[in-house]
Amino acid sequence: MATLAAAAPASLSLRSALAQSAGETIQFGCPVPMSGAFAANGKYADLGMKLAIEQYGKALGKPLAYTLLDTEAKPATAVRKLQELVQQKNARYFAGGILSSEALAMAKEAQKNNALFITTAGADEITGADCNKSTFRWSVPTFGAIERTVRPLIEQMPKAKRWYTITPQYVFGDGLLNAAKNIFKEKGIEHVGNSYHSLAEKEFSGYLTNAMAAKPDVLLLLNFGSQSSDALRQAVSFGMKQNTTILMAWASGLEQFESLGADLCEGVYFGAQYWHGIDSPGNKDLVQRTQQTFKFNPNYSLAGSYICTKIFIDAIIKAGSDDPAKVIPVLEGMKFTGLTGDEEIRPEDHQVLKNYYLLKGKAKSAMKDKDDYADILSFGKSFLPVAQTGCKL
Amino acid sequence: MNASRRAYPLANLFANPGWWLALAVVLILPLTLNSGTLATEVLVYALAVLGCNLLLGYTGLLSFGQGIFFGMGSYTLGILMTRAGLGLPLSVLLALVAGALTAALVGWFAIRQRGTYFVMLTLAFAQMFYFLAYSLPDWTGGDNGLLNIPRPPLSLFGMTLMPLDSPWRFYTLVAVCFLVVFWLLQRVTASVFGRTLLAIRENETRASAVGYDTRRFKLAAFALSGAVTGLAGAFHALMTGIAPLSNIEYHTSEMILVMTVIGGTGNLFASVLGAAFYVLMSDWLSTLWPRWLLLLGLLLIGVSLFMHKGLWGLLQRGWTALRRGRAAAAAPEGAPEGER
Amino acid sequence: MNVYLLQVVNGVGVGMLYFLLAVGLSIIFGLLRFVNFAHGAFYLLGAYFCYQAVAWGLNFWLALLLVPLVVALLAWLAERTLLRRVYDRPHEFHILITVGVALVLQEVVILIWGPLGDNVATPAALQGVVMWGGFIYPKYRLFVIAFTAVFALLLWWLLEGTRLGSAVRAGSESAEMVSLLGINVFRVFGLVFALGAGTAALAGALAAPIRGVDPFMGLEALGVAFVIVVVGGMGSFSGALVGGLLIGIVQSVMSTLWPEGARLMIYVAMAAVLLLRPHGLLGRG
Repeated sequence: MATLAAAAPASLSLRSALAQSAGETIQFGCPVPMSGAFAANGKYADLGMKLAIEQYGKALGKPLAYTLLDTEAKPATAVRKLQELVQQKNARYFAGGILSSEALAMAKEAQKNNALFITTAGADEITGADCNKSTFRWSVPTFGAIERTVRPLIEQMPKAKRWYTITPQYVFGDGLLNAAKNIFKEKGIEHVGNSYHSLAEKEFSGYLTNAMAAKPDVLLLLNFGSQSSDALRQAVSFGMKQNTTILMAWASGLEQFESLGADLCEGVYFGAQYWHGIDSPGNKDLVQRTQQTFKFNPNYSLAGSYICTKIFIDAIIKAGSDDPAKVIPVLEGMKFTGLTGDEEIRPEDHQVLKNYYLLKGKAKSAMKDKDDYADILSFGKSFLPVAQTGCKL
Repeated sequence: MNASRRAYPLANLFANPGWWLALAVVLILPLTLNSGTLATEVLVYALAVLGCNLLLGYTGLLSFGQGIFFGMGSYTLGILMTRAGLGLPLSVLLALVAGALTAALVGWFAIRQRGTYFVMLTLAFAQMFYFLAYSLPDWTGGDNGLLNIPRPPLSLFGMTLMPLDSPWRFYTLVAVCFLVVFWLLQRVTASVFGRTLLAIRENETRASAVGYDTRRFKLAAFALSGAVTGLAGAFHALMTGIAPLSNIEYHTSEMILVMTVIGGTGNLFASVLGAAFYVLMSDWLSTLWPRWLLLLGLLLIGVSLFMHKGLWGLLQRGWTALRRGRAAAAAPEGAPEGER
Repeated sequence: MNVYLLQVVNGVGVGMLYFLLAVGLSIIFGLLRFVNFAHGAFYLLGAYFCYQAVAWGLNFWLALLLVPLVVALLAWLAERTLLRRVYDRPHEFHILITVGVALVLQEVVILIWGPLGDNVATPAALQGVVMWGGFIYPKYRLFVIAFTAVFALLLWWLLEGTRLGSAVRAGSESAEMVSLLGINVFRVFGLVFALGAGTAALAGALAAPIRGVDPFMGLEALGVAFVIVVVGGMGSFSGALVGGLLIGIVQSVMSTLWPEGARLMIYVAMAAVLLLRPHGLLGRG
């Protein structure tokens, strides 16, 4: 009961004529979906920011604090709550935006409100056509995701000449597809067919039947989240693993493996932004911290949120000020020990240059512990040159 | 009495408290809320709920398609302001027209059926428009939505009237428009047209037998509802600077309908209550618990079990109980010996 | 084998599950005139209870039998305590209360099992595919077709050949008449609601090995269920069957013809039916 009383609406109070003073706390915001279809991602993103904030505790002598904002996976709600947090608590640092649509909207709003926003969302436009001074991105967009999965797989399997793609029909899906088609052309791969599907699709049997009729060597899944899980599960049920190699270019990592199970994932190739098995000092540190605090391994949502928050905190400390205008120049070009090794923020488009990984699912018998679902086959940094991203900062 | 009402339309306002209550809400929101954007969102959805109530409460049409018109309003304003470079007042007006036209189109098909079939038709159309919006990214931005919708200062006929940059300044604009629309809707619902709609709601066969072209009236109700909802969508796009796909999603239609029923379908002010309650409650609950939808679900169950006249009915009951209490307290002194 | 032929066969598989999902909703509407927005939530519960039962080591076949019964019981309780009170209210309150129930159930599922979603392994006997010429099809999906067909026959017998069934069918025509004849209509309502929920739960349990379980599967299921009920005819058992198969086949064939339009087409079909033959393909006029 006491907590309920204490949780009286922050929005509901007598509006004072004086604006709330900046105070002595550095306020962060974590705008992520906590209810609705992406609640799982939001839950871990919250924990990631919590971990970083508690790790530092203070920056420049001022205590660090953050507020969780439930965007409900709706861009309009995300925009409103971001703006409200800026106004009510003078929050200037936001790390979140799981979905591209909400991330894009928040990027605009952050700029309007002189706040900084860093995200793990995938849409190319975030550090491309819609880039702005306030927005930074940690994840690898479509070009790199395809370069670091399709290309190594082609090199590993030179005889696999027939590829079939399943693509979600929207800008992001097209981004992945076009990047893949470019490599196909370059390497003389026969693109035997593509099935577009809507974002609401659950039933992939029709598309898979189509794919099987084209007799591909490789089935390339360009969808993500629950759709990629459904597509993979159904592809395996159709026996496609027997004579086709399956590559899921944009996998979610640990949480997806957990929901699919080792048997399904065995022998399947996955592209990942992050894996808790990465051998880098930054990641080893995170894994240890997460194990200590939460007793489980970090997944992508948690890791992404953690490193994004950490990047901002480190920049604030380095800049000697929490004024966004002074922090932006520090962020641009900043090199740091990231989760995938040494990472740096490209100044021209605010994209973090980091590795993208090609994983292969292991047999259940080969798993050393309950999270050891996959081995890292290869990794690397591939990014479009700034001139081609369409970003003009 | 009626003659004087017609001669002095202002007298109507005093007789019917709805508009005054709406004004009260418009004035109370800035005093009790910290966030101008939240207050604006209350009024935006109040407009949308008024549109839905016009169909549900006044014409007896349960429409699952309000999200279509809301989204069309947002998209129209977004496209006109970012592509055609049109000014704010003109874009808002055209968004309103777009909402009306879309509603007329949907209505023309939907009113061919009645009852549950009508409901299902609006649901099917809602899904179709969603897929249309999703599949035409060149127009709607697809899943990303339309971005960078500006909010220039309000200017009419070349004169700059007021800047709209701060949330509370924009709220003022929305509040004024809201009160005007509310007043207009009051006139409409009190008019012959409005009473005909009520007659259609009560018994469509009888209304038709008496000689009314019920289809034309239902279509007009749709167009009016679409106009108001399109206006709401336009303001929403201006408020957030974006026209997202979620505005035209099925969930928006469902949400607007839920707000309408919660508020009560008896009168126009009930719609304001429903919108205010839902928007403020959701905002507050979402800060308490990630599983706040559970609380919302329980609330909906509670409302449908115990408050079938909605919040307005609750308010009415409270008001009546209060007056009865006061009368009972006054009676013992006033009642003469003989009356017993 | 011609890919279109394969798509038709696949469509039948998809369609049978759609039938199972929709038939309960159709019967509930037919008799109770009740728009049940919680129908998807019973599908969700069926899937999750099946997942939990299997996780506890229970045999999949036993789970398939028990899970629908448990969900049917829960639905019967919900009908008696909550839903019965709003029958005489206008339709919007049916929608409001069942939307509320659906939300509560969805969030409870998240509270218990987390928001992530999970896998249900296909029972060992049904893993793998059948191969016949160019025809490759998962054994489990064939099983679903066969099982649902048998269940459909059972259900048909229940509705046509028993007293309860007669009461249900008569009640769809006129609930008043049925009660005048001395049958406790409310008890029939409760049983029918439970039956509808039970079939939805069975659909969920059967679907679990195919598409896994996640807390939001109820919402998608609801959308499809409405389409099928409308296309087939509200209140019609055979309509649910024909509607399910038709939609399943359309969806499958579309994924070859016009893949991105597959979802759109089913709603176009829904609108077309409503406009041209509002009582559905096999509904009573």
